[in-house]
Amino acid sequence: MAVYEHLYGAYEGESHSALSRFFVIPRYALREVFKSKLFTTIFILCFIYPLVAAILVYLHHNANALALLQINVRELLPIDASFFLTFVQVQCAFAFILTVLVAPPLISRDLSNNALPLYLCRPLSRAEYVLGKMAVVVFLLSSVTWIPGLLIFFFQASLAGLSWLWANLWMIQAIFSGCMAWIILLSLLALAVSSLVKWRVVASGALLGLFFVPSAFGEIVNNLFLTRSGHLISLWATMNSIWRGLFGLFVRQTGSIRGKVRHPIYDEQFFDIALLEPPLWVSWLVIALICAVCVWLLARKVRAYEVIK
Amino acid sequence: MSSTTEIREQSAANMNTANANPSKVNAARASSWSLWTRQTLAVMSLEIKKNFLSRRALLLYLMAGLPLVLLSALALFPPPTDEMGNFSEMSVVYAAIYGGLILRTLIFFGCAWVFMNLFRGEVVDRSLHYYFLAPVRREVLVVGKYLSGLIATIVLFSITTVGSMFIYYFWLFPSESARFFFDGAGASQMLAYLAVTCLACVGYGAVFLLVGLFFRNPIIPALLLYGWEWLNFLLPPLLKKISVIHYLHSLVPVPMSEGPFAVLVEPTPAWISAPSLLLFTGVVLFLASLHIRRMEISYAGD
Repeated sequence: MAVYEHLYGAYEGESHSALSRFFVIPRYALREVFKSKLFTTIFILCFIYPLVAAILVYLHHNANALALLQINVRELLPIDASFFLTFVQVQCAFAFILTVLVAPPLISRDLSNNALPLYLCRPLSRAEYVLGKMAVVVFLLSSVTWIPGLLIFFFQASLAGLSWLWANLWMIQAIFSGCMAWIILLSLLALAVSSLVKWRVVASGALLGLFFVPSAFGEIVNNLFLTRSGHLISLWATMNSIWRGLFGLFVRQTGSIRGKVRHPIYDEQFFDIALLEPPLWVSWLVIALICAVCVWLLARKVRAYEVIK
Repeated sequence: MSSTTEIREQSAANMNTANANPSKVNAARASSWSLWTRQTLAVMSLEIKKNFLSRRALLLYLMAGLPLVLLSALALFPPPTDEMGNFSEMSVVYAAIYGGLILRTLIFFGCAWVFMNLFRGEVVDRSLHYYFLAPVRREVLVVGKYLSGLIATIVLFSITTVGSMFIYYFWLFPSESARFFFDGAGASQMLAYLAVTCLACVGYGAVFLLVGLFFRNPIIPALLLYGWEWLNFLLPPLLKKISVIHYLHSLVPVPMSEGPFAVLVEPTPAWISAPSLLLFTGVVLFLASLHIRRMEISYAGD
């Protein structure tokens, strides 16, 4: 309605709280996401491993089932930190696939269609817009990572008893923090790429490349330079170190190589090169730096207007 | 590219010639082949400019430059052992770098980037209709675009292959390398690696051209393909043959161990591997041509 006609009146209806305004973006985005049959299929497939894990936990405590299947309890995987670490690793790999499918169009579509001013002219700040888009990814990834992880943990606790729960209570924090670190990294990276590239297919390709190319490069660096520092280039390897640290399974020395140097006096001299993983704090620092760069990129790119020269 | 009027006149002339005298049909066909060749070259030259000079090419340059940077760093800061200083070990180490980084990762993703964008890129740029409105057969468009992608990837990754080999050998052992390349097996190894690089671009290019044409979101097929190619060493012999990497591995001059879990098969001989890849590419181009003839543009979904 034209303002100069003096007929414009402010909205007098019921005003919504800031929180409910914030949830408008994830609500509509999730509705859109589940329209895709491919996504829904992959999302359902993500629950196969938690189901298998739950069956394994159940078998551990059900003597009748074990007798029926003629399995010795010792033949089953032990339900300990390594069991939950594997769970986190598998589910986080699925989370990556979900991110590649869901996240790239979230911001790129708004940017390529010049729709950002339509969002930001409403009572929604830039930070709320980004958080709203991030909430879509966080919700979806949480539902396949730490939520089923904690459900299996409590399922095991309910079957094994309070003593097991008290002894392994620290694992709640490990499952939650490990998954959340990965979810935040993935969502920030995907949104940053999405804001930078603008096109969905190109953004998805860039996201895939960001994970696979540095991983291969890091492995070659490790093998050529006889080190494990190449893992810092690979996001998956860095996160693996963090998860191992959280589950108390991190070992710095992962191997050694027998080196040989020519010595002017002794002719040949052998020595062992210890292959040391980067310290945990360095892995955390790398992840924090990547997240900071992503936030900076988002702050630069998500604007209501753009000056094109 | 020929102007519309010129082409209309030419095709009208061809039709008249064919109707008037059947003996001149062959001449008309020959002239349409020459027209298609000129059009293919025109499309190719347009696309080559895009492949080399557009902003999207930056990622390709970055990927192609990675091994050169890595091997320069290795030459500057060699690890403190004699293994890297042993010239006889160098071909094995280079084979590992070539197989693990250049072939399986950089050429794969580079081809995915270039060939998927040949048509998907036009759709996201909303410029495919310009090509479709031009009086060019769509098959000509497919061939022109494919050749342009092929030239871009072959040029860049050949430079990567040869450049990384030269940096790796000559920086550390200049005199031994000179003997190895000019009097020994070095030149033949380099040519073999070059041939593998070219065939990889041909094979992966064809696959990704097809994926880019058939799938609106080609990322999942690309991901599946990457997994399939990486897990190739675990596959039974028959399934191994349904992959590009199997034929490329057979052609690599220094074969690499695929690990203790690998299912061992006889490498396919070169006289079967190379023609198989070329035949596969021909089939893919034929399928792509069939698909594009019925293709309708819808920019709404992208």
